[in-house]
Amino acid sequence: MTSAVSVRGLWKRFGQQVAVAGIDLELPAGKFIGLVGPNGAGKTTTLSMVTGLLRPDQGSVLVAGHDVWRDPVEVKSRIGVLPEGLRLFERLSGRELLGYTGRLRGLPGGEVDRRAAQLLDVLDLAGAQHKLVVDYSTGMRKKIGLAAALLHNPEVLFLDEPFEGVDPVSAQIIRGVLERYTASGATVVFSSHVMELVESLCDWVAVMAAGRIRAHGPLDEVRGAAPSLQRAFLELVGAQGQDTGTNLDWLGGGAR
Amino acid sequence: MTADLTPVVVRLKLSLLRNGLRQSGGRRAAYIASAVAVLLFSVLQLLGLIALRGDEHAGSVVVPLVAVLAAGWAVMPLFFPGGDETLDPTRLVMLPLRPRPLVRALLVASLIGIGPVFTLCLLVGSVVSVAHGGTAYVFSVLGVLLALLVCVALARAVAVANIRLLTSRKGRDLAVLSGLVIAVGAQVVNFGAQRLGSGGLGQLDGPADVLKWVPPASAIGAVDSASEGSYGVAVLQLALSAAALAGLLALWSRHLTRLMTSPDGSTLPSAQGAARERGSTGLARLLPAGRTGTVMERSLRYVWRDPKTKAAWVTSLAIGLIVPVFNALQGTGSIYFACFAAGMLGVQMYNQFGQDTSAFWMVATTISSPRDAYVELRARALALLVITLPYATVVTVVTTALIGDWPKLPEVLGVSFALLGAMLATGAWTSARFPYSIPQEGYKNVAPGQSGLAAAAVVGGMVSAALLCAPVIALTIWANLSADGDEWSWVLLPVGAVYGAAITWAGLRLAAPRTAGRLPEILTAVSKG
Repeated sequence: MTSAVSVRGLWKRFGQQVAVAGIDLELPAGKFIGLVGPNGAGKTTTLSMVTGLLRPDQGSVLVAGHDVWRDPVEVKSRIGVLPEGLRLFERLSGRELLGYTGRLRGLPGGEVDRRAAQLLDVLDLAGAQHKLVVDYSTGMRKKIGLAAALLHNPEVLFLDEPFEGVDPVSAQIIRGVLERYTASGATVVFSSHVMELVESLCDWVAVMAAGRIRAHGPLDEVRGAAPSLQRAFLELVGAQGQDTGTNLDWLGGGAR
Repeated sequence: MTADLTPVVVRLKLSLLRNGLRQSGGRRAAYIASAVAVLLFSVLQLLGLIALRGDEHAGSVVVPLVAVLAAGWAVMPLFFPGGDETLDPTRLVMLPLRPRPLVRALLVASLIGIGPVFTLCLLVGSVVSVAHGGTAYVFSVLGVLLALLVCVALARAVAVANIRLLTSRKGRDLAVLSGLVIAVGAQVVNFGAQRLGSGGLGQLDGPADVLKWVPPASAIGAVDSASEGSYGVAVLQLALSAAALAGLLALWSRHLTRLMTSPDGSTLPSAQGAARERGSTGLARLLPAGRTGTVMERSLRYVWRDPKTKAAWVTSLAIGLIVPVFNALQGTGSIYFACFAAGMLGVQMYNQFGQDTSAFWMVATTISSPRDAYVELRARALALLVITLPYATVVTVVTTALIGDWPKLPEVLGVSFALLGAMLATGAWTSARFPYSIPQEGYKNVAPGQSGLAAAAVVGGMVSAALLCAPVIALTIWANLSADGDEWSWVLLPVGAVYGAAITWAGLRLAAPRTAGRLPEILTAVSKG
């Protein structure tokens, strides 16, 4: 099996705090890959380093066999990114944003406009294409960000919390687009802390906690004997011991 | 029920004033100190205005004075929206009130406070200085009353309109720009005061002739007219003020009703106006293809659409014009002040990536070589030149025309272009080396903890730019000092232009590999806002 992304010995510290503590990971090509973990596990830091937006302290990242830091020309044209917590050029309309991104990527203008129109249509943004992105809702922002990441038809797509704060209708549209995209052989890597979502979408998962990879592999292997990924995940990160049964026994809304 | 509303609101206002003072000793001291200062000032200007009585220019003084006072009332609520809680009608939303009694009650309540007392003193002083004869006294009473009510109603109408504005994104964008009004206004007032100081009160006759027809100054103008016996004119002026009052009350009432019965603008889907087509403008077709044109188009769009960028540009454009031109008008200016325009606008090249905010990641993911970075920076410099080059040229020509020293035009233009080139070069380099975040909300232009960095980048860059210009400046000095230098001073225009272009090119060349090699560091630095 070929690797879409190969991570070796990746470290990142912010002052005293170790955000990512030595990650080794081989992500298989052509899969729908979920990076799961609780808040603060280091998912965003890892994805930022993998996509070249944050410089690692140590370690190397290869995308399709090319080093992200030594060979950016080969890597940047092959990947699409939707980061979390970073702005877009929000004073452009949705359509202008796609036109801008596509042309920066070096695509011919006519082709950019053709693809942008289709993406806006599929993502149900055609009605809002002339509105400024600053006036978009969270779901619309995620969708326009996804469109911008897909525009140059990358081999690997990195999405940081693509479903965070997104309404069910938009989420379903995003799912549909991503499923079609992977069906044609491309790789999607996305992070989330919603287990049900990862379980229903992914065929390969990596579980992260406290800056380390706790488990990785095909979904069935990681889930093992546990009834759900949620349970398997709680066992892996060791959050099973907290019993709420005996505490808070006064709760229930009956007698005050 | 509603008949009792006015005393209730008046009592509310008094309690709010009292409770505000009870909150803290410091606040009470500040309030009392400002009250004493304002009262003292009121008495002084009252005495001053009374002393003016009989002066032939008295009318020309008081009419503009009242106009300025009214402008102050109009501007106040924009800068101190939280100053008066009864000014915020959204607090009364849940109460079953009809607009008409509410407007009446709020208007009466607004007459309580230091501001109205000060205004009343000034208005009384104004009519005392111009009123002569029994009929004029009658007009005086009506005029003072009308002018006071117009001022208060103006403030209330503006405040309500402002609240509606601030609940929408467009309104908040505008609020970022309002600081400029003060900055530019201060320059104009300063200039006006200097003119007045040199020319005497007679200078005011012209503006007063216009302003005496503008409410509420027209109410005081009416008193002046009545004193001169032109009763028809006086009645007309008074009627104008009355009409203005009625208009303002109607406007206020309408805004108030809409504010209290419609949902907050920020919660509405901003579907209105969304249909406006933002198709490719004529601009796009004029720009070169590829990355250059794409980046230029985005930069130029941001000058217009992004409030922070727009505010920075308007400040630069205004100061770049005001300093050389006003100095030339006053006869104190040197023709070389015209270089100020190039210098002020060149500052916009600084912190290019900070202006992108964290959206810089979209740029970073498309830069994979120093060549990409070079094209990106060059396009940003070109976008800047589209505005800067013609503007600096026009300012230089206008300054030259005002001073009347046409033979110096080529050399001043040459120095301007060289300076602009040096600013672009140092700006590109510091953008790559010392990026910092620009917070998108509020008035601050540097993120906390980065002000040292920002100051070092801008000041250091400007000093370096001046040093880089040294050869052209030295040449200019030589041309002015040497015996036959004047014949050769025209050479400075092409020399300055070529030097500026060359130094820009060198600066971009130096900045490009730094940008390409530091993309993650730049992104981190500009993402703090």
